[in-house]
Amino acid sequence: MLSGLLKDYSIFAPIQNGDNVEYDPITPATTGNIIYNHPKPSSPLKTFFLPVRENIFTTSNYKKRIIIGCPACDLAALSILDEIYLNQDYMDPVYSKHRKNTILIGTDCHSINEHCHCTSYGFNPWPEENADIILTEIGENIILKIISEKGQEFKDQHISLIQEANTKDHQIINDLREKTVKKLNEKNTDLPDYTITGELIAQSSENIWKKYSETCVSCGACSAICPTCSCFLFIERPEFEKVRSLDTCQYPGFERVAAGEDPLRPLEKRFRNRYMCKYVWKPQKFHSKACTGCGRCIEACIGKINKNDLFRELKQNLTVEA
Amino acid sequence: MTTAIVDLYKPVKATLTRVIEESPSIKTFVLKPERNFSFKTGQFIELILEGIGEAPFTPSSSPLVEDELEVTIMKAGFVTEKIHNLNEGAVLGIRGPYGRGYPMNEMYGKEVLILGGGCGFAPIRSLIYNLEAEQDKIEKLTFCYGSKTPKDCIYKGYIDHLRSVKKFEVFRSVDKADASWDETEGVVTCLLDKININIANSVAVVVGPPIMMKFGVQKLLDMGYPENKIFLSMEKNMSCGLGKCGHCMMGKYFVCKDGPVFTYEEIKDQPDIWK
Ligand code: SF4
Ligand code: SF4
Ligand code: FES
Repeated sequence: MLSGLLKDYSIFAPIQNGDNVEYDPITPATTGNIIYNHPKPSSPLKTFFLPVRENIFTTSNYKKRIIIGCPACDLAALSILDEIYLNQDYMDPVYSKHRKNTILIGTDCHSINEHCHCTSYGFNPWPEENADIILTEIGENIILKIISEKGQEFKDQHISLIQEANTKDHQIINDLREKTVKKLNEKNTDLPDYTITGELIAQSSENIWKKYSETCVSCGACSAICPTCSCFLFIERPEFEKVRSLDTCQYPGFERVAAGEDPLRPLEKRFRNRYMCKYVWKPQKFHSKACTGCGRCIEACIGKINKNDLFRELKQNLTVEA
Repeated sequence: MTTAIVDLYKPVKATLTRVIEESPSIKTFVLKPERNFSFKTGQFIELILEGIGEAPFTPSSSPLVEDELEVTIMKAGFVTEKIHNLNEGAVLGIRGPYGRGYPMNEMYGKEVLILGGGCGFAPIRSLIYNLEAEQDKIEKLTFCYGSKTPKDCIYKGYIDHLRSVKKFEVFRSVDKADASWDETEGVVTCLLDKININIANSVAVVVGPPIMMKFGVQKLLDMGYPENKIFLSMEKNMSCGLGKCGHCMMGKYFVCKDGPVFTYEEIKDQPDIWK
């Protein structure tokens, strides 16, 4: 079935690539290699909508796309990107076009990665927002659940149903979901939730940020790989064209003004800024959470900084003080 | 306000028709946009050097003029230096206007106090043009302006003109006077000791370098100005102008979209407001 769709769509799906699983372009030869029900691929889903670099005036990358195998954390992360980029006052035309041209096929996670912590922040490890269709592989069978209108249209056009899922299938799906939740909860028992984390960060003293940022080299990997980090800079091109390039407050000079003031010059302030943004300031501005607990920033950090250790320590300190 | 989406990031081309030297490091650039370009005083624009870069500026000209635009720029960084090297006839791009400007409504019927320092005069000038055009609607304007030395005082001719407007009063200071200076010497806040204003019926506007704004606000609060009657224009590293790129974040605000004009009450609990 997928091979037939390749005529009209670019299809991307999780494929094993050495040690990594990536959202890779699918060819007729690779449709069999797709991994279903796997936790998040190495790179975030956001890059389909906010590519690392894109000429926003000439971008012609508008072929319809299907992205298969999006886990809950990646899908939920689109909500805050939508709030920012599809903002009523100023809708971003490029982001919006990419969103409209893409069919998102979500998936339940049947296993977890070392740093997955979606449930700690109130997300279940199965798609509950932004998916058009949810796909689960059970044994030999693929079970699809149609979620959105777009998903329904797509199904009507392209998918011939073999049979309705029965109660037993639902039972299996639910059991598997419960198992994943259990694994996640066991792993993250002592992790403070999203709101409390925000309170802890807001109240924290400088020392802890100094301590944890000691090994930070300002490489920005944590932001590049984060499904909710959305900052960018413009690069000017001839003919007044603009290239949008993803940027991060973790790079020195991000907030520097012409006169030279740079509130984020000290490394520990810059480092803390990313968490203030996600857990303190964005929640005051937006409805959607600015961290979905995917754990990628922990995996990607070459300084081996684990934000969750930091948050546990904040919680610990508070308990000790009290 | 809804902007046509195709125009969101597209600049309007503008020709540089005149360059006015204001001080050794400050020039005013007079631009003629290819089509009328309107803004509200206090809003900012992005000025684009094709293929090189763009930077945010608050126009210094009257918001009532739509076929011409003036931007006063201090040589400070990479883009401003390039702009300073431009000659008449150069074509630039402008995008905008962006953000929330000065709340003119808050000024009607009031005694308006403006406290400005350094290059802060540039955005203030556009506000004063606006107030001059609407002088029937305000009680009076008291303008206190400070610069480092007499050489750094910009818009000299304009100051003379303002002194001739009946409802306007102008006080100036320099940090360091020389023989040519017959006005006040000292930091700009000391001018506030000289003014005569009915604070209960007044609003204050403060624009200038962060340190000056900080002490200015402190003094106004001491004088009895309520926090929500002090308006500040914040300078941050604006880029997109649309609340997306993140460069202008100041705590929970995108300065580009939620500001750049805020009341002190709105921003007092946000981080790094004076940085
Ligand atoms: S964080 Fe949750 S949703 Fe994301 S990959 Fe891990 S288990 Fe799946
Ligand atoms: S901050 Fe880290 S855990 Fe949270 S969404 Fe971003 S990459 Fe995932
Ligand atoms: S300038 Fe881009 S968010 Fe404010």
